[in-house]
Amino acid sequence: MCLAIPGLVCEILNDNRVMVDITGVRREADATLLEESLDIGDYVLVHTGFIIQKLDPEQAKEDLKLWDEILSS
Amino acid sequence: MSEPTQKYRDKELVDALIKKIKQLTEQIGEKARIMHVCGTHEHDLVKAGLRSLLPKEIDLIAGPGCPVCVSSAQDVDEVLWIADNHNVIIATFGDMMRVPGSKESLYQAQGRGVDIRVVYGVSDAIKLAEQTPDRDVLFFSVGFETTSCVTAAEVIRTTLPNFSIYSSHKLVPPAMELLLQRDDLEFQGFLAPGHVSTIIGAKPYDFIPEKYDFPVAVAGFEPVDILVGIYALLKQFNENTSRVDNMYKRYVRYEGNVAALKALEEAYVVSDARWRGLGVWPDTGHEIDDKYSHIDAKKKYELPELEVTDLHSGCICDEILVGKSKPHKCKLFNKACRPDHPIGACMVSHEGTCNVAATYEEIVWED
Repeated sequence: MCLAIPGLVCEILNDNRVMVDITGVRREADATLLEESLDIGDYVLVHTGFIIQKLDPEQAKEDLKLWDEILSS
Repeated sequence: MSEPTQKYRDKELVDALIKKIKQLTEQIGEKARIMHVCGTHEHDLVKAGLRSLLPKEIDLIAGPGCPVCVSSAQDVDEVLWIADNHNVIIATFGDMMRVPGSKESLYQAQGRGVDIRVVYGVSDAIKLAEQTPDRDVLFFSVGFETTSCVTAAEVIRTTLPNFSIYSSHKLVPPAMELLLQRDDLEFQGFLAPGHVSTIIGAKPYDFIPEKYDFPVAVAGFEPVDILVGIYALLKQFNENTSRVDNMYKRYVRYEGNVAALKALEEAYVVSDARWRGLGVWPDTGHEIDDKYSHIDAKKKYELPELEVTDLHSGCICDEILVGKSKPHKCKLFNKACRPDHPIGACMVSHEGTCNVAATYEEIVWED
């Protein structure tokens, strides 16, 4: 139920709607629940047609660094 | 193109993490019982075969994290009563169709002519109401914070007179607290649900180490995400400490999704909620706020007292839901109760604990 699918923003339709590419399938998504603005190329999580969060690229790098730390500990 | 997920599924990385986890488990030297509270965690970790890769000292327990499984029969009964007595079209998630009510499921009711439509989400239910102005449409809404904020957005902005929402929404952190207060459950750490946490953030779990000195790790859903979550918990066990480790930082902020939290706060009030076979759990639900009562199906239609049967004979969903029992301990499991013929709610959704166990025939360690 809490399944959320990562996708790539490929078109900004208006303030609250964007087109998201999910594994090659383009789907409209509602961006009402996101305070930050979206740009083409942002990775987002989509749940039941709504964008619930935007990927933070800096934190994604931090995650990878953390894994390296675990493996080298 | 989706977010490149290969690295989160990388076999070498998984093998290396399993090795680290084995080392840490040996250092701990005793059984480690970890509870997750998310149906997606159960589904994804079993699908990836993680239980069979982990050392047998680690017991990953599925808690009440599948919203379909925890839906009470009373909710199904009430929605059907409204459909029968007010000629309403019911719209809901496909997962809800086979959830057993006291006498019948929505799927069975559809067979006798009740108008029930499966939708992708609340927005499609609203479109349906727009297309059928002479009929009332009721959206039967279940889910934890991930889903309830989406419904909240529509509660706030929808003014259609022929549309209402039956809220069966539930909250994760207060349910976790109730699990901690039970003395019949034995586990040492919580793997917190990644997608609920994208909404609420890591902050609402702070009380767990602070008040209960109990470890928490927030984890995502790819195999590597789940394993680093488990690793973080084992590390806390080994250091004999407790804190909230956020291991899904690419999507989970400490403060959560501010706009989604505002929508939740605006649309709902916290209420008591009925959990399948577990009775009423105080302050674990979300009911629609009085200022939006025009959209609240429970206020729009006066409901009678109904006689409710939550658990059918032999069903132990109440024990499965809190991790007290495992699917194969149920006499009905994979016999009378199967994915194509569910008797208990845990066998319905593809993320239900029993459904997952039946679908993937996973290895379940004997106690």
